[in-house]
Amino acid sequence: MLATPMIQLLERFLNVTSDRESLIANNMANIDTPGYRTEDLDFRSELQRATGNSEDAAFTPVVRKVPGLLQRPDGNDVSLDRESMNLAESQLQFKMGIQFIRSEFHRLLNAINEGKDA
Amino acid sequence: MSMFNALEISGSAMQAERQRAEVVAANMANAETTHTPSGGPYRRKEVVFSSSGNTPFQMLLAGFRRLTGRANPAVRISRIVNDPAPPLKKYEPGHPDADSSGYVSYPAINPIEEMVDLMGAVRAYQLNAAAVSATKQMIQGSMDILK
Repeated sequence: MLATPMIQLLERFLNVTSDRESLIANNMANIDTPGYRTEDLDFRSELQRATGNSEDAAFTPVVRKVPGLLQRPDGNDVSLDRESMNLAESQLQFKMGIQFIRSEFHRLLNAINEGKDA
Repeated sequence: MSMFNALEISGSAMQAERQRAEVVAANMANAETTHTPSGGPYRRKEVVFSSSGNTPFQMLLAGFRRLTGRANPAVRISRIVNDPAPPLKKYEPGHPDADSSGYVSYPAINPIEEMVDLMGAVRAYQLNAAAVSATKQMIQGSMDILK
């Protein structure tokens, strides 16, 4: 098996990041829906949960409504700035995870090639 | 899997916002329409957005059933309602649609209101287009692992 513990950990990190990205997309999609409340997940605790269970059971993050946001008169509390910032953040987090996985694979390849060409 | 789901979510919003822009365009185009098939002047239309109520993770589960039918979009236009505002009366006795006392009913459409609504639709469309390109970059990034 080529999957090192590092790669397995990063895989879960990417899963949580892309789940969060889906939530942000959903918030953005509902920016004009009356009564819609912003949803998010707690990144730290979800990542801990995702890396905590060792078996490959399908991981379902806990989604919560974000408290304390300013509501518009139609009951919608999606903030464009908040969602844009979160989108940029999760995009960069994802990119970082990808880079780590790539470097891990390169390390493996290096070992396979006995360090001859890297 | 779940990343393509995010594309679908943003796509449903773009579709809904485009439909909203179409309704605004119809309102502006019919600002002076005094005659409709149902009789009376054109009535100003408004869209009502509704969320599917499914979190993306429930949508993911629904995705497995997509072979049989489409999953619910994240956001859609649930209704198009008529604005209850009464029509504007103008005294034009020579007009073919004038009533017995010489008044013609014109739709109660305020061009400024429509333009602001149109700008709102365009901005929301752009926001979701930005989300689509972010998702595309993330998918592209995960394909770069293979390089």
